[in-house]
Amino acid sequence: MSVLQITNLSKSFREKQVLRDISLKVDSGEVIAVIGPSGSGKTTLLRCAAMLETADGGSIELNDIEFFQNGVYGGKSLLKQARRQCGMVFQNFNLFPHMSVLDNIIDAPVHVAGISRDVAVAEAMNLLRKMDLADCAEFYPCELSGGQQQRVAIARALALHPEILFFDEPTSALDPELTKGVLRVIRQLAEEKMTMVIVTHEMDFAEMVADRIVFMADGIVVEEGPADKLINNPSNERTRAFISGMKAEF
Amino acid sequence: MKRVFLFFISVIAAFQLFAVENTQNKTLRIVTSANFPPYEFIEGSKIVGIDIDIIREVLKRNGYDMSVEDMKFDSVIVSLQTGKGDIAASGLTVTEDRKRQVNFSIPYVSAKQTIIVRKDSAIDSAAALKGVRIGVQHGTTGDSYVTDNIQEPERFDDAAVAVSALLRGKLDAVVLDGEPSKVHVKKNPELKLLDEPLTFEEYAFAVDKKQPELLEKLNKTLKEMQQDGTIDAIIEKYYQHTESAVAENSAENLDEGFCSEIYLNFVKNQRWRYLTDGFFVTVCVAFASVLFGVLIGFGVAIIRSTSDQTGKFKIADWCCRVYLTVIRGTPVVLQLMIIYFVIFSSMDIDKILVAIIAFGINSGAYVAEIIRSGIMSVDRGQMEAGRSLGLSYAKTMNLIILPQAFKNVLPALGNEFIVLLKETSVCGFIALQDLTKGGDIIRSQTYNAFLPLIAVALVYLILVTIFSKLLGMLEKRLKKNEQ
Repeated sequence: MSVLQITNLSKSFREKQVLRDISLKVDSGEVIAVIGPSGSGKTTLLRCAAMLETADGGSIELNDIEFFQNGVYGGKSLLKQARRQCGMVFQNFNLFPHMSVLDNIIDAPVHVAGISRDVAVAEAMNLLRKMDLADCAEFYPCELSGGQQQRVAIARALALHPEILFFDEPTSALDPELTKGVLRVIRQLAEEKMTMVIVTHEMDFAEMVADRIVFMADGIVVEEGPADKLINNPSNERTRAFISGMKAEF
Repeated sequence: MKRVFLFFISVIAAFQLFAVENTQNKTLRIVTSANFPPYEFIEGSKIVGIDIDIIREVLKRNGYDMSVEDMKFDSVIVSLQTGKGDIAASGLTVTEDRKRQVNFSIPYVSAKQTIIVRKDSAIDSAAALKGVRIGVQHGTTGDSYVTDNIQEPERFDDAAVAVSALLRGKLDAVVLDGEPSKVHVKKNPELKLLDEPLTFEEYAFAVDKKQPELLEKLNKTLKEMQQDGTIDAIIEKYYQHTESAVAENSAENLDEGFCSEIYLNFVKNQRWRYLTDGFFVTVCVAFASVLFGVLIGFGVAIIRSTSDQTGKFKIADWCCRVYLTVIRGTPVVLQLMIIYFVIFSSMDIDKILVAIIAFGINSGAYVAEIIRSGIMSVDRGQMEAGRSLGLSYAKTMNLIILPQAFKNVLPALGNEFIVLLKETSVCGFIALQDLTKGGDIIRSQTYNAFLPLIAVALVYLILVTIFSKLLGMLEKRLKKNEQ
């Protein structure tokens, strides 16, 4: 059963076409890593799927809710329903700086889902324990390290029980030694069969955590396949060049 | 200035449609500018003087009650035309310009414009005035006579300030009405009055052109009062009053001490109450209008930035732009006067409320742009994070964006309040007795410019300092969650 289905999606910024008839299907419980050179459109693809960007043409389905069909967006209630299916983790965390860690997490459950504060707090504390941040509930975001902040952001996204979680380069803004905690949490989620789409530059991590890797360039999917095959034995010339380039960096 | 005045009149005339006539009222509203002793001045909390006593007697004989309202001299005639008053009793000389706007009664008293100079001055006649620095009281007949026949004078709102300027050598001569001149010269031994007056003139009451029958009654009774000696008796009473006031003031001034000046300006006749009463008006107007302004500002800022970001509310956005352009493009004192004399001209409305509305609307425009800049200063990612969590645009705005924006713009908002607090000093233009006007009244009673001005300035300074401290504390509290 597919949780996300993108069909022939296209998107331009002014004259520049960023996505060209791109299609992608993600099944329940699957972890997809999207890699590719910068400017290839992978972040835009993710943002279109998470409804942060309006696409120009094609269709998107989230958990069988067809909120974008043949270039036309559905009505308000349909969009709202679709939005509840997905969670988003940003490159820059985008935590709310004027709220404590706990308030960051319970804000949406209380104000969107209408869950009582006590229930939301109990659930948030469970999530924080899972993120290894139970003692940080009353802290403000600025008092945490980048890695801790990103884990709070993941907890915040999970608090609404999304069917699918999108990660937009979750470790790019972190110092290398801080990425571990975040990657560990993502791997743990993968083991729990959380459906995830991760845009990343971390090849080793992608290979380790993803079931499938999608290589994008110039707004199209150049190649996709099982993680270890795509990383170690890519069939496309461009994929090979990109991956060897990334590996040479280290 | 006269041209500006005429322009203002024509603006008013354009809005006359809104005005409702008020002739049926048994209580007639007398308008005056009570800084012109002995014709009209404030004593304790009451407006008294020759003009006031005469008009009171006239109205009494015709079976009317009256209320007296104090305002700036140049607002007196305007207020008749806009229906804010029925009769102007303000030492008005009949001039052609004024006749075009209002009807005049027969003259009830004659006066002269006299010239004050320093004792050591070489100026000995009106002819010698050409080319020297002349001070006048703004809008008086002395002003128009000097302007038309000699040269552009320096115009002061307050005769006492003009006299201070003369004493300090900033002017060479001051032209004032005869009676007030005498008081000033007696009070300041360094000054003298030229024997030869500049002009003779006659004072009359002004009545709105729409009330000819009132004018007739006025003239008839004035004639009676001239014949039975009532008017002479009133004038005599006040001349004696003036003489004794001057004698008293100069007796107290004999030791010239700072303490006696303080006593005269603030303690005697409870004059400090002008400052405390004015203080409360100023604080009340400033706080209420800043609240009102923040309310408007938030609304406008949200409409503007929502329209910018989502393309909705096109018409509301256009209205907001017009509001911002008009309010930020015109001086607040004009807005205040237009709101009082034009928009509320036919309504009997508390002047504090008028001031709050005027300053609130004014401040709202500035607050709107401050808050909009605050909204724009919040990272785009915050809106996206809120939206991605399923919060609606409005909820994201309320819970996420505005609290951060507010904290970012708090210093600018505080600054706006400080500016507003001081801008309320133009309240005197609609005759609201704020702090500045309170100082003006003291000045017109004690003929001393220095102490009341310094005292008023000090009160403003203390107010602003206290407020800045409070604001600093609030900022510190809100800062606790920042790096």
